[in-house]
Amino acid sequence: MTLVLNIRDLQLAFKSWSGTSEVLHGISLTIGKGERVALVGESGSGKSVTARIVLGLLQELRGVQISGSVEFQGQDLGAMPDRERRALRGTAMSMIFQDPTSSLNPVFKIAPQFQEVLARVTPGISMSATRVRATDLLREVAIAEPERVLDSYPFQLSGGMNQRVMIAMALANRPALLLADEPGTALDVTVQAQTLDLMRALVTDHGTSVLFISHNLGVVREFADRTYVIYRGNIVEEGPTRDVFENPGHPYTRALMAAQPKITGGGLPDLVEGDRHYLEPRFVHEGVA
Amino acid sequence: MNTVLRHTARRIGTSLLVLFGVSVLIFAIARVIPGDPARVALGPNAKQEQVDQLRAAMFLDEPVVAQYGHFLSGLARGDLGVSLYTNRPVMTDIADFLPATLELVLVSGVMMIAIGLPLGILSARYRGRWPDHVIRVISLLGVSAPAFVWAVVLMLLFAFYLPLFPIAGRLHDSFDIPRVTGFLTIDTAIAGNWAAFGDAWRHLALPAFALALSGIGQAARLTRANMIETYEKPYIEMAQAYGWPEKRIANRYAFKPSLIPSLTIIGLDFAALLGNAFLVEAVFGWPGLSRYGVNVILRKDLNAIVGTVLIISAMFILVNIIVDILTVILNPRIRKADAR
Repeated sequence: MTLVLNIRDLQLAFKSWSGTSEVLHGISLTIGKGERVALVGESGSGKSVTARIVLGLLQELRGVQISGSVEFQGQDLGAMPDRERRALRGTAMSMIFQDPTSSLNPVFKIAPQFQEVLARVTPGISMSATRVRATDLLREVAIAEPERVLDSYPFQLSGGMNQRVMIAMALANRPALLLADEPGTALDVTVQAQTLDLMRALVTDHGTSVLFISHNLGVVREFADRTYVIYRGNIVEEGPTRDVFENPGHPYTRALMAAQPKITGGGLPDLVEGDRHYLEPRFVHEGVA
Repeated sequence: MNTVLRHTARRIGTSLLVLFGVSVLIFAIARVIPGDPARVALGPNAKQEQVDQLRAAMFLDEPVVAQYGHFLSGLARGDLGVSLYTNRPVMTDIADFLPATLELVLVSGVMMIAIGLPLGILSARYRGRWPDHVIRVISLLGVSAPAFVWAVVLMLLFAFYLPLFPIAGRLHDSFDIPRVTGFLTIDTAIAGNWAAFGDAWRHLALPAFALALSGIGQAARLTRANMIETYEKPYIEMAQAYGWPEKRIANRYAFKPSLIPSLTIIGLDFAALLGNAFLVEAVFGWPGLSRYGVNVILRKDLNAIVGTVLIISAMFILVNIIVDILTVILNPRIRKADAR
């Protein structure tokens, strides 16, 4: 299987005047073509920074130390000049953010924002061409009145509607890889479920690979083919989603599963902060001694 | 656009109220200043009968409320009384001096916006890198030194040591331009005298720039601060994640949301130019209203004080109305909320 994304021993540290804080301790992760892979972990475990490294957003900041390799469609992103890496953004890879409403510019209508998105692949696309194309794309995400949506400001649309707009924008240029950073966490559960179903149908249709970042196990179970569990910058468990869920091998994964609220009650279990066993990986990364 | 019109009508209505309040206040304050205006005007050698006569002519022997009544009825007829300092109707004086000040302030305000905002955008876009450092030093200099210091420095550098610009005045004496609007940059163009037109602009350049400097610094700093805040917003990260050109993000998608909170303060700075204009007018021998205003205050010339302050307040209010309308136009949230 050809790999769309191949992360090998990725380490990340932020350097500041007070010292260096290590965030990722050498994670490895692969995504095949059309595969939906989840990266699950608690806040601060390093999920979101991983997505931002893949997009190349972190590399441009100061005081960031990155080692290891990130290969996208066989090309090493680290060896690529900034220009070429930027050219991939919004074209070959795109991203969906946590809160759709605040991820759209509040003082511009949807149409001009769509124009910028489409202009990444069709430079200088006209507004009328944008509207034609955007109307089709918005229909794809089950928006009944695309014309009205294009002429609206984000604050005039509901959160679910904005999420659909985001999905349409993310898939507009038919990217090979979609990074979804806690998509819809800011939405209510039913709307989140609807938009995720929609997203899954679309990425399946287009054969888009997805890196799905979430702390929500219920959603991950529905969405992902394979799951990586990340804890404090280490990947502690990896496997087909069904296996990880039915037979969690790692103590942290088990604790994470137990932390899911159950309708039958029983309260939240004790999750021992920084349990020694949580830091022992279940498996050894290839290429890592 | 209907919302904008309605909003404008409402603002003009409330502004008239404010103007009325200002007139009462100024009228009262001018009369509380110690000293008899008639005596000041006629000098210490005048006889008491002459002074009394003048007081009667100016209604100064009547109660303050009645005086205000006379003032209002005069105002309704477009008559602000006679200046004791120039012995001319205050309206004539204002019509004479206001265009010079307005010309200076408008050009200065345009400079403030046309230079200050782009500097702020550049500064925010290259935050922490050398363009940012250079711009921040420039804006700090602009903000920290008052306009008259810059007036003197600029005059020394660019009119005296390097005689690129004329030292003082509005136009070289050799030009005789018929007065149409009082704005020399316009009148010279109407007269078709292009040499005079160029000369009027050369006279304007230094005083307008000296007056604009603090506003340029202020606008640049404000724009930078607001834009840096905007750069933290998710919609900018989204724009970057989608590879939108950095220049477009800065000039459009980060700038517009940042302009809305800056606008009110930039508007106030613009209006404040009217007050600061005095110092610059004094340095450059600019025959404007600000200089006139200070002279009449020192002479306790009641009619002229009230007239001048009223005109300046009206300008302040006008600028504020314009800023409010711009805010409504720029901010879709206000526009749409009003429409409902």
